[in-house]
Amino acid sequence: MPDSLLTQARAGDADAFAALVRAHQGSVFSIGLRMLNRRDAAEDLAQDVFLQLYRKLGDIESLEHLGFWLRRVASNLAIDWLRRIPYTSTQPLDEEMQVPAQEHPQDPLMDRELARLLNELSPPARAVMLLRYQEDRDLAEIGAMLDMPVNTVKSHIKRSLTTLRARMIGARLVDCEADETKPINREKLP
Amino acid sequence: MTDEFETQLRRALRPVDAPEGFTEKLMGRLPKAEPANPPVVVVALPSSRPAAPALRPTRNFVLPAALAASLVAAVMLGQHMGQLRDQARQQREIAEGREASRELMQALRVTSQKLDMAYQAVTNPPSTSAGEEENPS
Repeated sequence: MPDSLLTQARAGDADAFAALVRAHQGSVFSIGLRMLNRRDAAEDLAQDVFLQLYRKLGDIESLEHLGFWLRRVASNLAIDWLRRIPYTSTQPLDEEMQVPAQEHPQDPLMDRELARLLNELSPPARAVMLLRYQEDRDLAEIGAMLDMPVNTVKSHIKRSLTTLRARMIGARLVDCEADETKPINREKLP
Repeated sequence: MTDEFETQLRRALRPVDAPEGFTEKLMGRLPKAEPANPPVVVVALPSSRPAAPALRPTRNFVLPAALAASLVAAVMLGQHMGQLRDQARQQREIAEGREASRELMQALRVTSQKLDMAYQAVTNPPSTSAGEEENPS
């Protein structure tokens, strides 16, 4: 994506701004979706983020800065929304949210389970994990985005990985037990 | 083990596409939201010339000045109206005082006349016996 696109957008070129939105909407929408766990809320959040971007275009210095700014605003806005409306962990996953994971032939069920377990993390920890594993950002950049020391980012990642791995193992054990007990009909036992 | 798990996590958290028509919906909302800080146009100056002082946005002082003048005029008008009202009240009180004085003088004059008449009646009573003597039955 050329830098001139940003210059044109700053000069008021609507097409250039639309191109910038198209280039980043997936990333911003995904942060919203996995933070808020609702598709409609994620779309509202992404719209809000891009409206803020439109007002702040004059402050954006480069395309790199644009990506940083969008991820920072999307993550912090999602954490802020979660503080006001706790509408994540107790709600089921959105039906459409599971679709992308099914596109992967390797282990779609595990991917889906991982995405679900991520919602049980605290909002800041979830944001750290998303910026690390969805957006592939380094620790210092994540710290800058979330106003968090790098050591805190590290500890969030370490604890979250431990928790997720433990719960994945736990989920598998539960599944195994359920499978083992399923064929047994206790009423017919003597 | 950790690397494998992290790879799995990356795959599970792959970015998803925004809903169809997302950009069009956003662009439809843009005209309502005016850019707060439009881009600054930087004009390059020749290096030989001294740097021009930064242009500051000119403020419109007409409206505040008119507002201040209106406020001052309103205050002065209020003071003037107060003075006029005080003067009118003083004149009315003086007129009422004079009228009361005049009525008092009139009452004193009438009273004095009544007292004179009573005094005359007491000091010079009418002689009723002479009349009775002139008409003997």
